[in-house]
Amino acid sequence: MKSTYNLPQLIDNVARLSPDREAFRYLEESISYGELFEKSNQLAFHLVSIGIKKGDRIGVFMNRCLETCIAVYGILKSGAAYVPLDTSAPVVKTISIIKDCEITCLITTTTKRRKVNQLLKEQSSLNIIIGDTIKSTIPSVSWNDIFSTRVGDFVPPPILEQDLAFILYTSGSTGKPKGIMHTHYSALSLSKIASSTYDFNSDDVFGNPAPLHFDPSTFGYFVAPLIGATTVIIPDAHLKMPASLSALIAKEKITVWYSVPLMLIQLLNSGTLGKNDFSSLRWVLFAGEVFITKHLRALMKQWPHARFSNLYGPAELILCTYYHVPEPPINDKPIPIGNVWNNTEYKILDDHNNDVLPGETGQLAIRSATMMQGYWNNKALTEQSFHRVTVADGYDHVYYKTGDLTQLNCNGDLLFLGRNDRQIKLRGYRVELDEIELTLLKYADVEEVAVLVLGKDEETQQLAAVIKPGKDASIILTHLMEFCKVQLPYYAIPKTIEVMADLPRTSSGKISRKELGKLLEEHHL
Amino acid sequence: MKKKILNYIKANLATESIDELDIYENLLESGLVDSIGMIQLVLFIETEAQIKVAPEEMIINNFMTVDHILKFIASKQNSEEKQV
Repeated sequence: MKSTYNLPQLIDNVARLSPDREAFRYLEESISYGELFEKSNQLAFHLVSIGIKKGDRIGVFMNRCLETCIAVYGILKSGAAYVPLDTSAPVVKTISIIKDCEITCLITTTTKRRKVNQLLKEQSSLNIIIGDTIKSTIPSVSWNDIFSTRVGDFVPPPILEQDLAFILYTSGSTGKPKGIMHTHYSALSLSKIASSTYDFNSDDVFGNPAPLHFDPSTFGYFVAPLIGATTVIIPDAHLKMPASLSALIAKEKITVWYSVPLMLIQLLNSGTLGKNDFSSLRWVLFAGEVFITKHLRALMKQWPHARFSNLYGPAELILCTYYHVPEPPINDKPIPIGNVWNNTEYKILDDHNNDVLPGETGQLAIRSATMMQGYWNNKALTEQSFHRVTVADGYDHVYYKTGDLTQLNCNGDLLFLGRNDRQIKLRGYRVELDEIELTLLKYADVEEVAVLVLGKDEETQQLAAVIKPGKDASIILTHLMEFCKVQLPYYAIPKTIEVMADLPRTSSGKISRKELGKLLEEHHL
Repeated sequence: MKKKILNYIKANLATESIDELDIYENLLESGLVDSIGMIQLVLFIETEAQIKVAPEEMIINNFMTVDHILKFIASKQNSEEKQV
């Protein structure tokens, strides 16, 4: 049997046995494994012919569209690593990423022309554009030109499992871009572990709403091809219009859905779940933030035939734990993040990096096949994020410190207790911001909430809460304040509570506490 | 109404600075308005046009472009008048 040790082999394997199988679908367009093999070969051939070498970084600057899969596999096949760029990010941020990992070649589509032209106005390492012909001094080539390339007897460079496959950038709290490096091995490990955990098969249809720069996209792009399944790329428009998204999931007969809880809550609130046929749906997977239990229960009751699973993992590990929710939760306690999956082990560490006693709270550290190689161009930060356990002189077990607080419950499941840095000291008291949020959520009609600390120096620091009421609900703030006084110790009661129609979010849909903090600070001045 | 909506998008919702915005620009696919922006836009329209947008009316066909939005508002106002 042929072994699979790099990502392009995933496509090659299915293309050889069943070339007509549908690999990716985007609305009315679709691409089979055979066609994806051909087209990614053509792109790889072109990249090699313009001098791209193994280990080079290539930017992918696209909306969700069918070309994304050709870009990903074409880049990988050429031996380069892909760097997905958030097309909605400010130009300065994108340029700082391009500079950080010295991207010379950018792959895009005609719909991003306005933004690409803005990028080209800035000083950077960019010197080739693929996917659109643009008026500029630097060379550009269209997708049509790529697809009419004759590759002849092109032999792609050898790719080892330890070679760099992609770099995912996260904003990082210091403002300097933080590039998480994943190898063919870590991504392929994810494919193998995920497909065995969920028993996926070639008849599955994966719904992929995640943009490429967000790590859950690895599910649609790498897990589905391992088993020869089809991935439906969800268009940007549907993600902004929940009622249309609901209809699309039903129409495409999606069997495996994986998104942040927010999208599922929006579906639930769209008032359309009873109208569409979701009988194909067999797995509903969610990760990225805590699924507020009352919403999860409501959704599970809507879709009793589907199984629900809570996944957890920072982008440095992609994923590492899972918890199958056995039945709609009976109370509003947060559900566990469960246990580590295959090829993975964990430790819970105290402030001095010693193992805590069973049942005690500490920082979760993970050792796994899916772990990143490190942060691009930042050895110090990489080393700082690792916890090394020396087994013998010169041989270490390396754990990634997640920065998340966890605790093992009596059932042997891990509980997620929030970010390490979400636990703060306020005038001497230890305050858990996540706990205050959970308390506010107990109040009827509070749909979402964010609690943060305003003010820099300890003397003037104060807690502020921002709530988003449920649709058509009106919340009397004095009543909510009374509720807080009953439920919370006095030092944990927010000084102010504000109501917003919606909370600012990051491009991946999580509540942006940074943005919210800025808004509030401005407001109070 | 057309001007009001276009100005509101340009001034408050656009994720990039743009000089010209016409009623046929695809608001959803281009990334010009993000998902929070769309919710704000719906609230704006509800107030300005004095209509109520039901969750099941949050579909691409009603909000893809300003042109779609204007047609949607007109049809809502029509049906509400008939009910009165």
